Amino acid sequence: MARLELHGITKRFGDQVAVQDFDLTVGDGELVSFLGPSGCGKTTTLRITAGFEFPDSGSIVVNGRDITALPANQRGMGMVFQGYALFPNMSAADNIEYGLKVRKQPTQKRRQRVAEMLELFGLSHVAKSYPSQLSGGQQQRTAFARAVAVEPSVLLLDEPLSAVDAKVREELRTEIRRMQLRLGITAILVTHDQAEALSISDRVVVMSQGRIEEVGTPSQIYAEPRSEFTASFIGAMNEFRVRIASRSGGLVERDGVQFEATGAADLPDGSDGLLLVRPESLEPVEAGAAPVGPVIRGRVEVQTFLGSQTRLLVREGSDLDTSVHGSRLVAVDVPSAAAGRWPPGAEIAIAIPIRAARVIAVRASDLRSTAAVVTGPQGR
Amino acid sequence: MTAPTPGVAIEAGHEATQAIGAQNGRQAPRSRPGRSLLPALIIVGAFLYYVLPLIATASFALSDGRHFTLAPLTDALGDPAFHDSITLSAGIAVLTTIVSILIVAPTSYLIVLRFRRIRTLMDFVTILPFVIPPIILTLGLRQVYGADSPLGVDLVDSPLLLVAGYFVLSLPFTYRAVDNAMRAIDVVLLTEASESLGAGGLRTFRSVILPGTLLGIISAALLCFTTVMGEFTLASLLGYATFPVFLNNVYASAPREATSLVIVSFMITWAGVLALAVVGRRAGGGTTALRRAA
Ligand SMILES: Nc1ncnc2c1ncn2[C@@H]1O[C@H](COP(=O)(O)OP(=O)(O)OP(=O)(O)O)[C@@H](O)[C@H]1O
Ligand SMILES: [Mg+2]
Repeated sequence: MARLELHGITKRFGDQVAVQDFDLTVGDGELVSFLGPSGCGKTTTLRITAGFEFPDSGSIVVNGRDITALPANQRGMGMVFQGYALFPNMSAADNIEYGLKVRKQPTQKRRQRVAEMLELFGLSHVAKSYPSQLSGGQQQRTAFARAVAVEPSVLLLDEPLSAVDAKVREELRTEIRRMQLRLGITAILVTHDQAEALSISDRVVVMSQGRIEEVGTPSQIYAEPRSEFTASFIGAMNEFRVRIASRSGGLVERDGVQFEATGAADLPDGSDGLLLVRPESLEPVEAGAAPVGPVIRGRVEVQTFLGSQTRLLVREGSDLDTSVHGSRLVAVDVPSAAAGRWPPGAEIAIAIPIRAARVIAVRASDLRSTAAVVTGPQGR
Repeated sequence: MTAPTPGVAIEAGHEATQAIGAQNGRQAPRSRPGRSLLPALIIVGAFLYYVLPLIATASFALSDGRHFTLAPLTDALGDPAFHDSITLSAGIAVLTTIVSILIVAPTSYLIVLRFRRIRTLMDFVTILPFVIPPIILTLGLRQVYGADSPLGVDLVDSPLLLVAGYFVLSLPFTYRAVDNAMRAIDVVLLTEASESLGAGGLRTFRSVILPGTLLGIISAALLCFTTVMGEFTLASLLGYATFPVFLNNVYASAPREATSLVIVSFMITWAGVLALAVVGRRAGGGTTALRRAA
């Protein structure tokens, strides 16, 4: 229905920059998520798009038309608010009808559309209920139905699921995606739940401190993060400091061992890099086996049960061994059925499979004291 | 998740605080049975303190010195001056109430929505009538709206002057009641929701904000009405024969009649308070009144 473009949006509150040089094009019928830590400017960007805040610079274009100066009520966008913001004095049906009434649609047409929406969102049996009498999920659906009933050009969702409990949330997010695809509506979803962003978006915008850190499909963002920030923000990630040994050969070096790593060919010889490996990509070395790539040796400190997998936190090296850069923690996932072989305290050798290892440039701001850091919540 | 995101941590902390609050709340009502006598005594005491003077007033009013009689009341009600004064008072009260609500409700809405910074200032300004003696208010009204009015309007002979004065005088009640109602609903969020659906300011106010704050607005209206009905000083100083002024005049010549009218005016006030309580109860219990009204 619509193509949305944000050009160089910048917004300051006092001397604090909330959004900076934000450029994004959302294609027709696409669902794009804004993902980032608290305070990174997701809501502000969304509110600027909706017309509740006005940018200090930059422009908003919908279907080629510049709407930067239009007030919210003339933008024809739909919004689902974090707390739903249903009108407490109106029934579910009246809430859905409100936007149609505002648009002065004839009664007959309104009734029909409301009935259609109630049916579509499975709300027919609670049509006459007031928001206070609806469950969290029903409120969420009413808010969604109210926003899409008017056929908005763009649908804006600000953490629409943060108020429902975890189990319902998973169900509802699939439903949001199903409806969005079915209605073919262009949508932006703001969330700080990475699972939500990765599971239902066409593309994910990773934000940090008011800037776009990275834009990509969920699998790109997860499997091939281009920045240390994205790597550490999405899922659990092992990060190893390495040096680019040979650009032409695609080789990196760690603790004197050279091995192949994806991405090494893009970085200058001798420069520092971060080798990124997900815990699920690491494998314990079977006794007697001779792995091709580098091997990490250490002791298991903690086991965390994750379901089919169990995560081992391994301290590399030994307390006596100070030849390497002190000791460091490495996370590795093993099948839970086999986890008994590595109780806390057990010695373990871990291979870094060559295919799974990617190296990215180290930016000055990314430098950390430890050589290997396990960061971020685990994304599933 | 192995590590909660900061946002989650904050929410969890918030819940924890609430949980602690709830626990404290649960512990509070625990008390020994012997103590439950004290609240009962206080209630009985307060009831007597309130009711005894009323009984005394009624027994004085409805007698001829020896026997019970309704004569003072019927005499008073038959007095044409009573009719004039009560009509004037009611007219002024209704007008003031309408003007007050028309001014206070949109103002309070706009302050919450757009001018949050002057909220504290408004809080202060609206209680000024409590600390300014009515005599000062009268002199001020005369200065501004009298014969030498800098605005060029002489309102001293018009009841409109009283309406203006009473608007200011009842501001502490009206503004507070409406403002509390505005604070109780999320005015900003509901307004944004309404705007996102295409509605303009007026539509939003009429269809969303007004129904949502109806209870507060009704309280404000009743408080305003009763304040004006009972106000004496301003009317007397400006020379209007409102009901309280009439009452005062009658008292000198016919104390029993005046006193019987006091009972009547008490009843009018009670009816008002009762109406307020009923509306409040219904709105509180499932907010049905609010919904029907909307
Ligand atoms: N109205 C405002 N006045 C002043 N500062 C603001 C205002 N709104 C947002 N900010 C600031 O702008 C920055 C970005 O805020 P924003 O609400 O967009 O973050 P967010 O990414 O949505 O965070 P969260 O995940 O916590 O909702 C924050 O530092 C915030 O303090
Ligand atoms: Mg936000």
